[in-house]
Amino acid sequence: MKHYSDDDLILYYYGEGRKRVDVERHLDACASCAAAYREIAGTLAIVTEPELPERGDQYGLEVWQRIRHKLPEQDVPWWKFLSTVSRGERLVLLASAAALVLAAFIAGRYLPRQESATESAAGRQAVATPSGATNGDHSVQRQRILLSSVADHLDRSERVLTDIMNTSDSRDISIQQRWADDLLTTSRLYRQDAQDVGEQSVASVLDDLERSLLEIVHSPSKISAADLEQIRRRIDAAALLFKVRVLSEELRQRENAPAASAAPRTSTRKTS
Amino acid sequence: MGSPRSGDRGRDPGLNMDVEAAAVLARARQGDSEAFRALVERHSRSVFRLAYRMTGNEQDAEDVVQESLLRAYRQLGRFEARANFGTWLYRIVANCSVDLMRAKQARHDQARGESLDAVAETPAAQTPGPERLARSAEIDARVREALGALSPLERAAFTLRHYEGRSIDEIGQTLGLGTSAAKHSVFRAVKKLRVALQPLRGD
Repeated sequence: MKHYSDDDLILYYYGEGRKRVDVERHLDACASCAAAYREIAGTLAIVTEPELPERGDQYGLEVWQRIRHKLPEQDVPWWKFLSTVSRGERLVLLASAAALVLAAFIAGRYLPRQESATESAAGRQAVATPSGATNGDHSVQRQRILLSSVADHLDRSERVLTDIMNTSDSRDISIQQRWADDLLTTSRLYRQDAQDVGEQSVASVLDDLERSLLEIVHSPSKISAADLEQIRRRIDAAALLFKVRVLSEELRQRENAPAASAAPRTSTRKTS
Repeated sequence: MGSPRSGDRGRDPGLNMDVEAAAVLARARQGDSEAFRALVERHSRSVFRLAYRMTGNEQDAEDVVQESLLRAYRQLGRFEARANFGTWLYRIVANCSVDLMRAKQARHDQARGESLDAVAETPAAQTPGPERLARSAEIDARVREALGALSPLERAAFTLRHYEGRSIDEIGQTLGLGTSAAKHSVFRAVKKLRVALQPLRGD
């Protein structure tokens, strides 16, 4: 007799799953599955709705009063922005963008790449203020270490994402899952660091990255074509690979720039 | 409400309300803050309800309400007019709640030092007796504690499934996860709750 897993029984409890009739019939016949189901249902029955604090009719107005002075600038999507500029300006913009891409490509191709194997742990250790260093020195040093380490981290993440985007038809992603799992904890630490030093746009990209890594880690190793396609679509929709590449490039430039340019960016603008 | 007769179509209150809501939304998308105020007044209570279920804490829920509405205002330009504003806002609130819980968890991770696994490993002799557990306040506290020990994503997925009655597919769409990841988040949450609440069941 084929028994049902706890996961099947949880889905059954919530009225989901494709084999509801089969499960129902099985529960009538199988004492051990029926006992497991009773235990699951018993637990979930205890988790009752918490009592919601009352909010009066004027609550909406109160909320409005709290936020009205904090309303941020509205993001303008690029397609709307393009529609507001004239044809001539659009051509200039496109030409500038093409020139930037070309310049970035040439720089990446011909400029010597700085060795930056600084890892998080080493970085954190190095952050411990050396004797005689001022707070300003300390802050800039910490900033540089963070930039370098995050750029490395983004490069590694990019490889995982690229692998997921191009994985073969066998659809076994266990290797990518192990990489993603390794990167997850580091990603969270860097995101916190970035928030601490006011690098909001870095934190925002790392947050997006963390979600995709989580999704990869929590998917089954033998992933279905549909699920794999969903992960890919979400990576595409969030333009995650693009953001990761651009940010990595930007961080490397700042890492090599004079001290003032490497100072924390306080802008809260998100890359998303 | 019956179907409107063709001659009365312009006077149908439901239709007028839809047209009015669409007009308010269109104005808000163009940056009209008074129009956005109407949206805030209309949706704040439902936003609070979801935020409270997700966070289980009144102050956190208020923070989520505020942050979600500010985020919604910032992103209104990207909202597609054909979509449902309530559904769009719902996603923002759910994700804001996850963000807040993650930030909170990161701050308290080390301080708390007590995971649900640790709670589950508590020897039976140290757990409260059945009489004490029977008291509903104690049960609520234990449930709250167990929910609080879930990861932000597990808690969000569980809340959407258990309290909000959302399907696994809808949970995936709301939290930006694949169906499989959404399903496994719910499974993990239920498994942890089973372990943590086992003493309450008395079996």
